[in-house]
Amino acid sequence: MPTPVPTHTLFAPPAPSVPTHSVPASASQLDVAGELLALLRDSTTEPRPDSQLEALTLAVAADLPVLLWGEPGIGKTAALTQLAEALDLPLTTVIASVHEPSDFSGLPIVGDDPAEQGVPMAPPDWAVRLVRAGRGLLFLDELSTAPPAVQAALLRLVLERRIGALTLPPGVRIVAAANPRGSAADGWELSPPLANRFVHLQWTHDHEVVVRGLGGTWPRATLPRLDPAKLPEAVDFARRAVCGLLTARPKLVHRLPSSEARRGGAWPSPRSWDMTLSLIAFATAAGSSRDVLSLLVRGTVGDGPGLELLASLDRMDLPDPETLLADPAGADLPERGDLRQAVLDGVVAAVRARADRARWDAAWALLVRALETGAPDLVVVPATTLASLRQEDWDVPASIEKLAGVVTLSRRSDQAAARAAARTAAVAKAGR
Amino acid sequence: MSSDEPLSPDEPQSVTGRPRGAVEPRALDLDKLFAARLQAARARPYLATALFALHPVESRWVPTMAVDRHWRCYVSPAFVDRMPVEELAGVWVHEVSHLLRDHHGRSERVARERGLTGAGERLRMNIAADCEINDDAFGDGLVTPEGAVTPGSLGLRPGELMEDYLRQFRLGPHTQSLVWLDCGSGADGREREWDLGPDGAHGLSEQERDAVRFRVAQGIAGRRGTAPAGWRRWAEEAFHPPQPWRELLGAAVRSAASAPGAGEDYSYGRPSRRSAGVPGAVLPSLRRRPPRVSVVIDTSGSVSDAELGSAILEVAAISRAVGGRRDLVTVVPCDAAARIVHPLCRGEGIPLMGGGGTDLRAGFTKALRARPGPDVIVALTDGQTPWPSTRPPCRTVVGLFPRGSASYDEEDPDHVPDEPPAWARVVEIG
Repeated sequence: MPTPVPTHTLFAPPAPSVPTHSVPASASQLDVAGELLALLRDSTTEPRPDSQLEALTLAVAADLPVLLWGEPGIGKTAALTQLAEALDLPLTTVIASVHEPSDFSGLPIVGDDPAEQGVPMAPPDWAVRLVRAGRGLLFLDELSTAPPAVQAALLRLVLERRIGALTLPPGVRIVAAANPRGSAADGWELSPPLANRFVHLQWTHDHEVVVRGLGGTWPRATLPRLDPAKLPEAVDFARRAVCGLLTARPKLVHRLPSSEARRGGAWPSPRSWDMTLSLIAFATAAGSSRDVLSLLVRGTVGDGPGLELLASLDRMDLPDPETLLADPAGADLPERGDLRQAVLDGVVAAVRARADRARWDAAWALLVRALETGAPDLVVVPATTLASLRQEDWDVPASIEKLAGVVTLSRRSDQAAARAAARTAAVAKAGR
Repeated sequence: MSSDEPLSPDEPQSVTGRPRGAVEPRALDLDKLFAARLQAARARPYLATALFALHPVESRWVPTMAVDRHWRCYVSPAFVDRMPVEELAGVWVHEVSHLLRDHHGRSERVARERGLTGAGERLRMNIAADCEINDDAFGDGLVTPEGAVTPGSLGLRPGELMEDYLRQFRLGPHTQSLVWLDCGSGADGREREWDLGPDGAHGLSEQERDAVRFRVAQGIAGRRGTAPAGWRRWAEEAFHPPQPWRELLGAAVRSAASAPGAGEDYSYGRPSRRSAGVPGAVLPSLRRRPPRVSVVIDTSGSVSDAELGSAILEVAAISRAVGGRRDLVTVVPCDAAARIVHPLCRGEGIPLMGGGGTDLRAGFTKALRARPGPDVIVALTDGQTPWPSTRPPCRTVVGLFPRGSASYDEEDPDHVPDEPPAWARVVEIG
């Protein structure tokens, strides 16, 4: 009998009558293969913060349809498995590209008297099982390689949660995955109305994580837990954040993507702002970082409006000028230079809005404090503006002497600017 | 390993960590440094947020001034002593430009894409990044710091991007004077021994970095008149990097050709695969015929033949990718009148003659008169033409060759003459 090809022996049922030359007769090839596989699968995990998984978890918890954009083979499915485990939901994966539209809209079943009883649309078995279980995580993979008609049927499933005659119970959460249109075979893309209904998360792989994982240690993400005590506060914060921004920037409420480069992505509309509001509340209740919130917000309303929202959140975090003026000695100014300058500018603006002697003095005390705890160049502009607010009967406070260094600094900078101007003028002249 | 080679073997000072200069360095002159930052912020108000967000760190390892990707600025005390305030101001702007323009991220990408490894390549990236910044960073109140690399000093043209400069020079005798140049990991992505890393104090998180860049970009967009062209371009593209037109045109044509209704429909001509399972019901099957693509070309002279040629080949490649056949792509050259319709299989010999005025309406009529009609019309034009007043009965993609100064403004689309109609998908080419 000729020796079979090794790959065949691997997967053939153990045949005790065929001895092989390299392995003792006692162990069959398949057992050895099993041992090798066990060794390969023997990997450990380590906790590691993972912003994108955390963002995905929050969006799924908030019951918003999520669309993961990512190249094939970078671990979207693995992430979903981990998420299902963390949320304690059974995972159902449906590969969209191997189905027909009728698998999602229902198969017509002809009964005894179609004219009398109608033709019911029967749902596929996975949907029936999902509905019977009442809860689960439905993962629609490979959305972008499915034919357009299948995609159309799937979108009804995602948006209306209906499969044929069945409606998915509220305990079922849906996540879809698509390849970026550059790498998708037939260039699927979302029309703006559909894109507006999803939270778009870009899924990327972390080089370090992959290398370490292949070496035997995979990351174990620590997933966010919603804190029941924080819920009312989180809702209040989210409402203030979104309403505050949209009051100041009415143009951001609704802006259809106009250029070709932004098609198929997130864009702002009342619907997506509503989704943003939920996401901010969830992220706040879970105590998530700004990085996670940034992924979620930018994935819902788009980069520009998302960044504006985040910037206004940063401003909400800054201390209130009135609080600072009330207690300049105990003031806690931000460390970061740009934020500190924003605070000082805010304080001076507050004094200008309602100028009186006590507030003016308190602002000087704050500037002195800023000078003592940080870079002096930040104080120059607020100090100049504050000095210009002085009224005739106000005496210069004693503390202002401590700001003498600032004046020197400003003068030094002015001199340098004058020298620079002279030099650039000379260069321009020489060049002519 | 090549990446472990010291950057500048002929500069023992930087290897031992001793800064340049024989004098034992004094403490960092913070006042001078901050006076310079103030001057920089006054000369470039739109960069003030970014300048103030930088956190200076005294370091005796750095040859001059260097940044890391977490927005720390490492400063050599001896360097501050040596430089006049006005030149230091220029250095501040230079260093913050590396961070705003994401040179570390772009260097990493270039290194991966082109397989560039080793300290020498990173030095080239640093030089290329410096060229991108220095060609328009100085002047107008800022002095060019001593030793700044400009494209001119390498014999290159100004106004290009780091990625372009990187292709245009090699290290050699003429760059020998630049080997000490080191703007840190913020400029070329290579970790330095002095870097405090992501966990060190005063670093900015990714979201904070984006927020600062966004605020600066907004500031520049708000004062279009005063910022130089390079910064305005950066502000427009900071969060929306321009996609290559091939990709956009490909996506537009593909989605037009594979959308429901174009070349695909339900058919009762053949039974569905599922018919066997549902006896008694007649199910349609989904049938697809290859999409027909008609390319209408504006031959009115302002578009170069090379551009047109590459665009046509692109359309042909795309239609092949969506299951089309080459003979189903037709080409309609059109200036003031449409000429003959050519099938692309005779592609190379299509005479793209023409000149004078353009009227693409003639081209559309010609393309639509074909039987069977096209599923997609791709119009390649510079846009200086009247458009059909009604929507054609098929999907339309317009490949627009941008014309000189007439830049498209999203906020104010009215000032562009002859804008393509709303029913067409518009992709800017080139």
